[in-house]
Amino acid sequence: MAPAAPKSGDVLFASVDRVNAELFTLTYGAIVRQLITDLEDVEEVNKQLDQMGYNIGVRLVDEFLAKSSVSRCVDFRETADVIAKVGFKMFLGVTASVTNWDAEGTTCSLILEDNPLVDFVELPDTCQGLHYCNILSGVVRGALEMVSMKTEVTWLRDMLRGDDVFELQVKLLKQVPEEYPYKDDE
Amino acid sequence: MIVCLAVVGHENNPLYIQSFTESDDALKLHHIVHCSLDVIDERVNNPKKSSPAINEAFLGLLYPTENYKVYGYLTNTKVKFILVTTDLDIRDADVRNFFRKFHAAYVDAVSNPFHIPGKKITSRTFGERVSSIVKPFGLNSAS
Repeated sequence: MAPAAPKSGDVLFASVDRVNAELFTLTYGAIVRQLITDLEDVEEVNKQLDQMGYNIGVRLVDEFLAKSSVSRCVDFRETADVIAKVGFKMFLGVTASVTNWDAEGTTCSLILEDNPLVDFVELPDTCQGLHYCNILSGVVRGALEMVSMKTEVTWLRDMLRGDDVFELQVKLLKQVPEEYPYKDDE
Repeated sequence: MIVCLAVVGHENNPLYIQSFTESDDALKLHHIVHCSLDVIDERVNNPKKSSPAINEAFLGLLYPTENYKVYGYLTNTKVKFILVTTDLDIRDADVRNFFRKFHAAYVDAVSNPFHIPGKKITSRTFGERVSSIVKPFGLNSAS
């Protein structure tokens, strides 16, 4: 049976089950609020959100690969494009753009102009160090780690802090070759 | 010309008060808003037989004072919006329209996860949206 052609982000977004966007936004807002109340330290909250995102990412990548049937990416550039155009579109309903490639092609920026997580949100003065969308950086990091890429994901620009877009920097640290648990000659 | 807007919570606690003129005494406007709360309570407790069940939100002209008109709007969570204006020939439809937009801005401000219900609204975006709704208000009814 011939493998299915890779589907575009819009087609995938239309085919998955949907949930009300406001419910999603309000739920995420409640999670962040509760974390702040429980942990009280903004840096701790950032770390927890990243960890939560990581846990989501390692599971999400399997669903993504199963539903989208994209072929193996040749290089990191293609990976970043697939994440921005297909991945974000399928799960968040928004498309990101990829810019700011460095000379070696290992670092790029994903630009999000529209982010459903931050509808209605305004950061109070007590939480200025908070990366509200840190869960997204964890998701990207977790997902890429499951396909053998160790990355570092950080926020460069944040709309809640006054910038005009969300900019997520993805840096490829190492491509880990797959390890086989059994030696071939035994 | 709108001179004052207020949002009052269900326990008559002020959530947002904004005056739009520097000339009038802010205290006098706050006093007018405070008195109108009594009028609202009265209207709510003794509903007029003729009031339609559908749009109970818009309470209409609460009471006209010397040179002001005070309009009220009650949401279903008992949050009251009070509008004080100096325009004497204002249309009911305009005020309803205004309250509809104001209600939408209020709902967005309250949906902020960092807003604590019952505390004052500190959102800057809300303040900006309110200014943008208030500005064309006087112009429309004057033309």
